[in-house]
Amino acid sequence: MPELRPWLKLIFQRKGRLTVGAGLLLGTLLSGIALLALSGWFLTKTALVGLLLAAGVAAYINLYVPGSGIRFFAVSRTVFRYLERVFNHNTVLQLLTDIRVAFFNRLAASPRTQRGARSGAQWLSRLTADVDALDTLYLRLIAPAALAGVVTLLLAGMAWILFDGTTAMMLLVLLSLALMTATWLVYRRTLVASGQVSDQQEQLRAELIEHLEGYAELTAAGRTGKQTALLMRRGLELSRLQAKIDTRAGWHQAISHFLINVAAVLALWLGFQLFSGGLVSGPVLVLLPIALLGLAEVYAMLPEAFSKLGATRAAAQRLNADSNPIHDDSVSQKPGFNVPAPIALSAREITAGYPGYSPLLSHFTLELNHGDTIGIVGVSGSGKSTLADTLAGLLPPVRGTVQSAGCAYLTQATVVFEDTVKANLLLANPSAEDRELWRVLELVELADRFSREADGLETWLGSSGNRLSGGEARRLVLARTLLSPAPVIILDEPFTGVDEATRQRISPHISHWLEGRTVVCLGHGPEALLASGHTLHLG
Amino acid sequence: MADPARAKVNRWLSGLARNSQRWITATVLAGALAGAATIAQMVLLAWLVHQGVIDKVPVSDLTPGFIALLGVLVLRAMGQGLQARFAARCSEQVRRDARRQLHQHWNAAGPVALADTSAASLAREWLDHVDALHGYFARFRPQMMLSVVIPLAILAVVFSLDWLAGIFLVLSAPLIPVFMALVGMGAEKLNQQHFEIVSRLSGQFLDKVRGLTTLQLFGQTGYASRTLEARSDQYRHITMKTLKVAFLSSAVLEFFASVAIAVLAIYIGFGLLGYIEFGPSDELTLFSGLLILLLAPEFFQPLRTLSQHYHDRAAALGAAAELLARLEQPVGETAASEAFDTAPEDALCLKGVSVRYGNGPALFEDLSLSIGSGQVVALTGPSGGGKSTLLHMLAGFIAPSQGSVMVFGEAPGQQPFGWLGQRGFWSQGTWADNLRLTTPEASDIAIETALRQVGLGELIDSRAEGIHSRIAEDGQGLSGGQARRLSLARIFLADYSLILLDEPTAGLDATSEVFILEALRKLSESGKTLVFSTHHQALLTLADRVLIVNNGEVRDA
Repeated sequence: MPELRPWLKLIFQRKGRLTVGAGLLLGTLLSGIALLALSGWFLTKTALVGLLLAAGVAAYINLYVPGSGIRFFAVSRTVFRYLERVFNHNTVLQLLTDIRVAFFNRLAASPRTQRGARSGAQWLSRLTADVDALDTLYLRLIAPAALAGVVTLLLAGMAWILFDGTTAMMLLVLLSLALMTATWLVYRRTLVASGQVSDQQEQLRAELIEHLEGYAELTAAGRTGKQTALLMRRGLELSRLQAKIDTRAGWHQAISHFLINVAAVLALWLGFQLFSGGLVSGPVLVLLPIALLGLAEVYAMLPEAFSKLGATRAAAQRLNADSNPIHDDSVSQKPGFNVPAPIALSAREITAGYPGYSPLLSHFTLELNHGDTIGIVGVSGSGKSTLADTLAGLLPPVRGTVQSAGCAYLTQATVVFEDTVKANLLLANPSAEDRELWRVLELVELADRFSREADGLETWLGSSGNRLSGGEARRLVLARTLLSPAPVIILDEPFTGVDEATRQRISPHISHWLEGRTVVCLGHGPEALLASGHTLHLG
Repeated sequence: MADPARAKVNRWLSGLARNSQRWITATVLAGALAGAATIAQMVLLAWLVHQGVIDKVPVSDLTPGFIALLGVLVLRAMGQGLQARFAARCSEQVRRDARRQLHQHWNAAGPVALADTSAASLAREWLDHVDALHGYFARFRPQMMLSVVIPLAILAVVFSLDWLAGIFLVLSAPLIPVFMALVGMGAEKLNQQHFEIVSRLSGQFLDKVRGLTTLQLFGQTGYASRTLEARSDQYRHITMKTLKVAFLSSAVLEFFASVAIAVLAIYIGFGLLGYIEFGPSDELTLFSGLLILLLAPEFFQPLRTLSQHYHDRAAALGAAAELLARLEQPVGETAASEAFDTAPEDALCLKGVSVRYGNGPALFEDLSLSIGSGQVVALTGPSGGGKSTLLHMLAGFIAPSQGSVMVFGEAPGQQPFGWLGQRGFWSQGTWADNLRLTTPEASDIAIETALRQVGLGELIDSRAEGIHSRIAEDGQGLSGGQARRLSLARIFLADYSLILLDEPTAGLDATSEVFILEALRKLSESGKTLVFSTHHQALLTLADRVLIVNNGEVRDA
């Protein structure tokens, strides 16, 4: 399972925690088995001694050791279980952090072109589910399966010591079969289906969204009924597939449980042979089958977890593809910073476009000196944002060269982080003082908005905090770009969602603020731009 | 969640359960079979041990007992497997019912109301929220019954063997309902906490991933990664504090189960030795003693399983609350408008129509209007004046609060018609698939002609497989203008008599605009009735009749 390797490596970095957690889990499982086995031994012993006593034969029984053993295991099972749950829950939350941070770092290190269109809400929700699948990899799969193996071997060893080698071997064969059924076999038998489930889910989601987006047209054409029937059928196919996985996991669990019970019966049968030969005492004869019955609890969680392994692998595969950590210098190359003065930004004979797709723009040449401003106008689809990405160095040109003295870039998408106003602004210039922050907020007429808030610059933004309107959010990210000390400023549709009156008021202030810097401003029409020296038309 | 709201959610879930009662019952029966087989298995085991160890019966004489035991084990496995099978089947049925309800709601709400919620969230409800019901119906609900039935059966057996041991069991699980509530409270808190933290952490993580490009542009990915880590750690410390308390409740269950076994073992042991001089203990044998011991863990097992399934319940309740909120969203009153006779030359007739949303002021009051067949009518006027409402009413997407609307002598929406919204739509799949969405029987030639009519000919010529190539083949999809033209191609293909268009040229690039104007001209020449809202001069010129819609009034320009 090579796709899981990087994640397993990450998980096993916390060796100490994992070992302690596994130890606590083992303690819980063994205490449970020992409690029952010892109780069985004790009952048989007392029954036999009781018979002797009743018959008037002098017999002796040590009540103290088994009695305190039983009490000890009863308490240790509870204590181990509690500690194990608290400790391992903490581990899961810690692994969750590790995995997310590592994935984020991988994503940050991979070239943006690779992410391509993967940024929509759908991609993000899929990503969450995929990352979640890895969080519990250790606690649901690795630890229980490994411990089941350990406990099985311990019991086989016990059978060897208390009974004989033949019994131990036969039990080992049966229990290995049970373990295989609960793990590997479930995994194999659900692999295809659980891979299909996540694919079908995403496919169906896309179809549903299309159906809903076209709902008015489909209703007008009287076709919603047919479409609904189709979606219902696909939904049913999906639930059938899920039901198939559940059913298979259920049957495998039943079979594995059956094999464990058969092992217990076999131990009793073979034990009787040894008992009648006087090789094994009655209490010991009872001890082993009861211990084996306790194994069912150890195996019980395995089939369901392993029925999801196929899906987990698929999730890991997708995450790996999303964040391929290949460092290709030709791809992630930033535009050169050593442009000869007085040139601030130069693009020579560039062809711009996304790799694999037909270029949107070719033979484009632009040279700006320090202090130059230029407007670029183009309708949507004319390659305006692709050009902006290329000039900013986000997207390497297919042909030609781009050089700049270092730039700040306001992308077409408005990105406000769930954080304070201050943290959002400081991204552009971590050393800026509050005074400067208020100054740029004033430029975009947001200073009043936040000075009215109790927390001022510390006002929390985002879903759980203060919601900004579309225009306010745009102005905030505009202010962020303005805060950047970079000599070149590229603004793609700076005023999206900003109302006409505000735009007319703030635009001259911004132009004034940017005086002396090199500004490239792109928009769908001249009215969407800052005042500029000259204007290019694309398309 | 407030209590009445929860009661409502529970009622809805029970309603879903009623439809699949057959499968729930089957699941419980299979579980009960497994439970009965378990009891039989323990009886046989204890009996065999007693026979072999106490009565010294030779093992060969015990063969029938062993065979019976194996048979019981097979039964137990059958019960377990069937339980999983029926549970899966039940959840299949429940999910189908829930999805059907959602479709019915969508249908009743109509395209206009539906557009208030993003397609992605509606799709998530349909897919993920409905799937979240699975565990509740497949596992939690049947287990709830089993965790009453099986312990009671075991209790009955134990009482018949030794009533004092039975009392021990009852005392250790004071009252099953109390126990269940205890488990529930703890598990619920735990789940809530866990879900909340995990979703908050996911939010933080997604927020950073979403803004990764911005972070990269400002060279701040390292800072973001450290923030992510610090926040996660902070949350973890807070959660762990509450979890330490919340886990205590499951520890209590574990403790009672362990202590009950220990107490029983010691009581039975002393009883067998004859040290206990009261109660029924002098009648204890290895058989009855061992059987009680073997049954004790099985007495608690159903409850422990139930507590493991508690997160299924929490997830289902959360999802059900959201689904129910959607299903209960009021849909426009569909008070059947009274049919009235219309003149045969009239395509569209409005009689005494009033529209108001909620208790707000009327958008239209006692409006009457008729539009002749084959006419091209432009609706113009300031935005918010009611143009779209009028179009939606003619389309039957919304119903008037009073009065009635007739389209070709029928209620609106009875006959298929053409609709072009502000956003055209296209689905994954080929060009031909997209056009056959609304006209399944169309020939390839007709499809190609329709696409050429709207100026998409060049685009399909550039594709290797023409109309049979996938639209999104180059990974780009369609621009807004192209998508709207594709929708218009569907209208061409379908040959509707009535075509309604909402601002067909708003926000379009020049090329798309030219093609749409040309296409509308062709449609009007072929005698279709066209009604569109617009501000566009070229479109106004195209119209036979221009209606100014403003402040609830509709008048000819």
